Amino acid sequence: MKRGAAAAAGLLAAAMPAHAHTVIDGVSGFPGGFLHPLLVPAHALLLLTLGLLVGQQSAVRRRRLMPLFPVSLLAAIGLIAAAAAADSQALILWLCAINGALLALAWRLPPAVPAMLTIAAALALMLDSVPALLSVRDTLLALGGTAVAALLLFVLFVTLSACASRPWQIVGRRIIGSWAAASAVLVLALRFVK
Amino acid sequence: MRIPKADLPEDLPAGLLHPLFGLDHVAAMLAVGLWGAFLGLPALIVLPIVFPLVMAFGGVLGILGIPLPGVEIGIAVSAIVLGLMVALAARPHLAIAAVLVGLFAIFHGYAHGAELPDGADAVAYSLGFVIATGLLHLAGIAFGTVVRWPQGRIAVRAAGSVIALAGLVFLGRLI
Repeated sequence: MKRGAAAAAGLLAAAMPAHAHTVIDGVSGFPGGFLHPLLVPAHALLLLTLGLLVGQQSAVRRRRLMPLFPVSLLAAIGLIAAAAAADSQALILWLCAINGALLALAWRLPPAVPAMLTIAAALALMLDSVPALLSVRDTLLALGGTAVAALLLFVLFVTLSACASRPWQIVGRRIIGSWAAASAVLVLALRFVK
Repeated sequence: MRIPKADLPEDLPAGLLHPLFGLDHVAAMLAVGLWGAFLGLPALIVLPIVFPLVMAFGGVLGILGIPLPGVEIGIAVSAIVLGLMVALAARPHLAIAAVLVGLFAIFHGYAHGAELPDGADAVAYSLGFVIATGLLHLAGIAFGTVVRWPQGRIAVRAAGSVIALAGLVFLGRLI
């Protein structure tokens, strides 16, 4: 799953896939990164056009715009690092355990809780679904397919759950939650040991 | 992206079958279902929901290798005690029944967790044996619904007696 997450990071980082890593053979790390925007034509052009455009603005606007760039650079590094380091499968298992336990308990939840769980699930699913060894085009197509299938299943299960009105259906839903949470907890324990 | 298609057909069935290979497990799980049917609501709902979670806790202990003495004896005793509860048509307070079942669930879960095979698709395997355990409960509950009839009560209590006797046999083999 780390390979997939690293591929996700590569996808986010790659302006031109053929030159996404070292520009000069043998020069990597900080020096290699330093040379990157200087020697990759598209990057250099982007910086040139952006710099000239921002410089064209009034002094007040320039002062507001200038900090945005380094903050955004750092945010992008953070996102890429998070994507590369994320143990997306563990996140999926944790979400299974949490969702299953909440299903089994059948508590009345504040609206923010299912909302956050929905967002987290969607992000975790996609992060854990990046194929590692495909081109950008095929990767995006694969992710698109995953997103469509995930959406269809999500809608199906929501509909089934919403239609549960008889006591045995409501109890059955809670039992499924219990099973799911139990399975997820066991696998998380296994991962912890290994 | 993990594509364990090659593993899934082997690990989900393996997980489903695992609880069925231990007669002591089968006996105790059926007894839980029978007892739930005898106890009626809310035990009938609480037990199938709570049992997998407590069993998972026991499974975690087994996976982590935390020592739990007398696991096999605990499993054999669970068949004896739960079988007796059914045979005697015992109806204690829900809390007592839940604690008793929960205690035995830890032993059963511990045994399953410690036996989790290496290299298996863990999610599929775990799902398999949790589902199989739940289905054994449901089988017990389904059979237990006959308690509404007098002959049914006798049949269920007789089944409880058989389970308790089987537990004695299991215990005898261990001692």
